[in-house]
Amino acid sequence: MGTYAGTGARETPEPGNEKMPDQPTHRITLQPVHAELTAPAGTALRDLLFAQGVEFPCGGQGRCRGCRVHVLEGQVSVNDAQRERLSAEELAQGWRLACQCALDDDLVIELRQWDAAILVDETPFAFEAREGLGVAVDLGTTTLVTQLLDLRTGRVLAVRTALNSQARFGADFMSRVEFAVPKDGGQQLRDLIRQQIGSLIEQLVFAAHIPQEEIRDVVVVGNTVMHHLFCGLDVEPLSRYPFEPDQLGLQTFRAPELGWKLSGPARVRFLPCLGGFVGSDILAGILATNLHEREELTGLVDLGTNGEIVIGNRERLLCASTAAGPAFEGARISMGMRASTGAISEVRVEDHSVRCRVLGNVPPQGLCGSGLVDAVAAGLELGRIQSSGRFTAGGGAWELAAPVVLTQSDVRELQLAKGAIAAGIRMLLERFGASARDLNKLYLAGAFGNYINRASAQRIGLINFPSEKVEAAGNTALLGAKLALFRPEGEDGSFARIRQQTEHVPLNADQSFQETFVEEMVFPNMGARTWEVATGETPEANTQNSAPRI
Amino acid sequence: MTPFEELQQAIIDGKAFVSKALTERMLKDGVRPGEFFPKAIIPAMDEVGRRMRECEFFIPEVLIAARAARASSDILRPLLVGAEAMSSAGTVVCCTVKGDLHDIGKNIVAMMLESAGFKIVDLGVDVNAEKIVNAVREHQANLVALSALLTTTMVNMKSVVEALTAAGLRDNVKIMVGGAPVTDAWAHSIGADGYGKDAPSAVELARQLATA
Repeated sequence: MGTYAGTGARETPEPGNEKMPDQPTHRITLQPVHAELTAPAGTALRDLLFAQGVEFPCGGQGRCRGCRVHVLEGQVSVNDAQRERLSAEELAQGWRLACQCALDDDLVIELRQWDAAILVDETPFAFEAREGLGVAVDLGTTTLVTQLLDLRTGRVLAVRTALNSQARFGADFMSRVEFAVPKDGGQQLRDLIRQQIGSLIEQLVFAAHIPQEEIRDVVVVGNTVMHHLFCGLDVEPLSRYPFEPDQLGLQTFRAPELGWKLSGPARVRFLPCLGGFVGSDILAGILATNLHEREELTGLVDLGTNGEIVIGNRERLLCASTAAGPAFEGARISMGMRASTGAISEVRVEDHSVRCRVLGNVPPQGLCGSGLVDAVAAGLELGRIQSSGRFTAGGGAWELAAPVVLTQSDVRELQLAKGAIAAGIRMLLERFGASARDLNKLYLAGAFGNYINRASAQRIGLINFPSEKVEAAGNTALLGAKLALFRPEGEDGSFARIRQQTEHVPLNADQSFQETFVEEMVFPNMGARTWEVATGETPEANTQNSAPRI
Repeated sequence: MTPFEELQQAIIDGKAFVSKALTERMLKDGVRPGEFFPKAIIPAMDEVGRRMRECEFFIPEVLIAARAARASSDILRPLLVGAEAMSSAGTVVCCTVKGDLHDIGKNIVAMMLESAGFKIVDLGVDVNAEKIVNAVREHQANLVALSALLTTTMVNMKSVVEALTAAGLRDNVKIMVGGAPVTDAWAHSIGADGYGKDAPSAVELARQLATA
């Protein structure tokens, strides 16, 4: 990805994005997201973390405990405000108020506000300066992220995140569709989300102390269901096969049409979608990772409930979605939970047993997606789990760290999720006549892509590429939306070009998908990742029999 | 181990090649074709069903076991003639309903029903009610098994029940439904005869309904 190449003058160095050659810098690693930043010594942690979406409830005055962070490595000095708000024990454990600290050492910090931190994007990007301010919106099924940008400097002036207010009508997007189809459900969901984004923008304006008339442009990205609901389009075509809506294109609004209190000339664009299950968040991801301009075969995967995959180069892009299910988010896992305090986020093998890392320095309460992937990888390593997914010793549960257990059916859920993604990647590569080794790079988009341990993902056969080819790309949807802010009116053509270049592949309709999916459900056996090893049959025996009609 | 036990084991282990070879050898040794189903294939698949229900087996193992069962039954079916002909447990028209493309679950149920002695007419995925009505008529089916994996397509099960009623075939067939969003209550509400929560239950249910 590019770096800051703005033509606009910047008065202050962008925290986290620049190295000042003649000033000492420190490295700061944010857990659990593994985000790494570099900043000049003395930079206020408040500025650094604010750009990451960490919120400061009292405005950074040291009057509350909302911004407290857990320092895992490095020294951070303590002042009176912190002594007042934090107990001696907490201070000894490394808890600090971020708003009261400056960067004086290389640090590893665990954020308490995980959810906020996982969502935003701080990737440096190249842009051409424009007048005015812009707002980028990543409209997710579960979460919303909004960033206010100064289009002259590319600086993020404010960040607001929230849970999607439609969530009360169903957690996943299919249940929203179900709610929207009859009667006026669609209208209700449309009004809700428009109102919520409108009020987030008001909060951004307020937080940044800017006149709202300066907002020129708002870019919204989201999956196809979110696109349809926000734009007030009929979601009925998204409820059934072939899941191909006819209105995927760019939708443009003026703020007042949406009921937003922006009095200026603000234009609101919802970027176009690529297919029924591949939305403008993925188009934005292509934009962010520059997939459409690369010579080498490159991939982008969003490891979510509806795992989206794009593979291609500047000649041609293929995209698909696979129903991976919610296992990566810890749902339908017996002790699954989101990546928040109390979740086992990492499992490592040490001396023939497992060691778990728990978020927030509290007793373990459950298992989040990254912990699940790690735990199964560890189970395979220790021989507790066989390549078929079965527990070697039988029994229903394996205790990771009391009271948290991994059950046999948890392993099965993960097999479904990873099988779907791995099969999707394999099939798109096959369409290029390529194999895993022909892929130059694979970008993992989204929160889970940041969390997941790549070695574990490889061990379970989710990502069948060498670690050096796999890279976490962060919130590419938000980054893509930001890039779109710098492409004014006449350049909407670039989205049209990406859409033209991209072919949506309906995997479900492909006869061989189910077979590939079942093959990929099996865990790799000591690197020899084959169906034969798992079934105890020789390749000859398998090929002589007719292929399973599954 | 008796040859029947050996064959059962080969099926459970998913060894299609072994199951085929064993079947051929046993036939050569004078085992009557009609003996295979009650003494090896049906008990083996019942065991596969039990293991699946206990999470010991998962989709891949069930599918390769079913394939191994088929390697044996494919040899046997043409040999089952006259009095030796297997008294078929019944004919099942199965499919995934209109608007839905998911078929792994439906295929597993179909394979297990087949191993349990049912004749299967698999119409595939995204199948409308009219096609089902025609198939029931043409094959004189006594069971209809419907699958749906989406809350938005599950409603189409209801249209199938209605279409069978409208065609005057409702009294000839029992209708069973299944799939992730489907429940027992749903089955009742649309006037179906039963709900199978997983493949082994579907086999049990089919046996019950076929003899009811």
